[in-house]
Amino acid sequence: MGRFGFVAKRLLQVIPMLFGIVLVVFMVLQVTPGDPARQIAGLRASEEDLEEVRESLGLNDSVLEQYGRYVGNVVQGDLGFSYKSRKPVASIIGDRIGVTIWLMGAGLLLVVLISVPLGVISALRKDRPIDHIIRGLGLVGMSMPAFWTGVILLLLVANTTGWFPSGGFGETFGEKAHHIFLPALTLAIASSPFIIRGLRAEMISVLESDYISTGRSIGVAGSRLVRRFVLRNAAGPGITLIAIEAGFLLFGAVVIETTFALPGLGQGLVIAARGRDLPSVQGK
Amino acid sequence: MTTPPSAAYEGVPPTIEPLEVPIGERGLWRRMPKKVWVGVGIVATYVLVALLAPVIAPYDPLMIDPANSLASPSADHLLGTDQLGRDIFSRLLYAARVDLPIGFLGAFLPAIAGTILGALAGFYGRWVDTVIMRTADVVQAFPAYILVIVLVFALGQGARSIIIAFTVLAWVVYARIIRGEVLRVRDLDYVHAARVAGLRNLRILRVHVFPNVISQTIVYLPSDIVFATLALASFSFLGLGIPPPTAEWGAMIADGQPFITTNWWFATVPGLAIVGLGLGLSLIAEGFEEALRG
Repeated sequence: MGRFGFVAKRLLQVIPMLFGIVLVVFMVLQVTPGDPARQIAGLRASEEDLEEVRESLGLNDSVLEQYGRYVGNVVQGDLGFSYKSRKPVASIIGDRIGVTIWLMGAGLLLVVLISVPLGVISALRKDRPIDHIIRGLGLVGMSMPAFWTGVILLLLVANTTGWFPSGGFGETFGEKAHHIFLPALTLAIASSPFIIRGLRAEMISVLESDYISTGRSIGVAGSRLVRRFVLRNAAGPGITLIAIEAGFLLFGAVVIETTFALPGLGQGLVIAARGRDLPSVQGK
Repeated sequence: MTTPPSAAYEGVPPTIEPLEVPIGERGLWRRMPKKVWVGVGIVATYVLVALLAPVIAPYDPLMIDPANSLASPSADHLLGTDQLGRDIFSRLLYAARVDLPIGFLGAFLPAIAGTILGALAGFYGRWVDTVIMRTADVVQAFPAYILVIVLVFALGQGARSIIIAFTVLAWVVYARIIRGEVLRVRDLDYVHAARVAGLRNLRILRVHVFPNVISQTIVYLPSDIVFATLALASFSFLGLGIPPPTAEWGAMIADGQPFITTNWWFATVPGLAIVGLGLGLSLIAEGFEEALRG
């Protein structure tokens, strides 16, 4: 079997799970109030019109039939049409996913740029004033709701300096990077404290280990010791932490896209959920 | 090392290091670092404000006064008024009555459920373990926020749905932590001794195993309350949490955002309220850890 066998088995297990998830989401959205036919036909539509819309969408079929049809279509790459905008869900997702990827990519980059130096300093200067300051800031950062941080950055940075736009997304690479900076910084402020904390703890335990003492005793210079021996050994768990955080970034992205009016997946999901737009929610 | 509370909702079990001090040890409270007491003081203040809100608040938090909307802070309205002329200070106080209970329940209920299920899974093993832990896998397979959104829509918007959604999601983490701990304790000599002495399973679990694993739950709980509160505020901010007109910090921030350039305090102050509460709870969490991990 080996490593590949394990990975293959894991991947195969994902398939029934996906069907289960789609089924649960499907069932739940079925029993919720709100009539998609009314959404499409409008408030003044007559009962006959509504019936016609329901028939054309297949909403009168049994739940199982609807589920079967939905899964069948999804397997063929057809996610259905949004009830609201009448656009194919796949194309809505395609339009929006780029923004979310930008946000998460830039966010992760800033997380690394912020957490690695601060975590290293904090560990090397353990229990000194600078360590206390970094840990204190970390506690504050952990307690700040991401959307609020975004609002505060808009207030303090975007409004006072005018260097950054307060919302939307651009066309060219430069414009995009310009628009994504504050949202990505918001994301980084929310996530970095956890990484800093983990990296600090990891580095401290490495610093206390015997081979570092040995390194010191044979005269390896401080900065070289940190780079070659400490950081390299503390990096593994740090990377695991960042990978865990990447999952969290996705939720952060939903909220932050709303704050900064970024047309990404998260914002689309929230809009769809508010409007009971079944196919759009399921697609995401 | 702690794991981000956020991981709870992404289904990643926190790394567990064995606690060095049993929870019942004498003098433990006296050895609690000072930061725990600072944190307890902060949280107690919030609880007091929530309890006394009807007495302290100068206005009815729902009373609208369109003629006096978006007023600046003054002697009449300490923090000014919102877009409907409601007193922001009163709403801020009353919101504590919404955010605190939901944040606490949204962390306590999963903690209780997860601790019990994790202990059962670890202690009895076999099919009990399989059923409980595979259920945990399924819950983890969902993207957390989608599950919350779907549940809230199924159960109707409101406090009850949010608490149920958090419970359905977050028990998994506690179950994993406690299961691991029980597996460690289960094979220790004193448990075998209790077995040899003829004690029944349930009694061994309750009297000999449980007290030795419960501290893991207690260490993790305060950070989880922070996350439940932040999550509640986030969902309300998105318009998927507590429906208006109820005063809630996240919803107040959403109300205030459009007026950030003119009435900056409107969106800022409710956020500070959340940060303060989170800071108090984080201090407690850090202190617990220092005291219990020795």
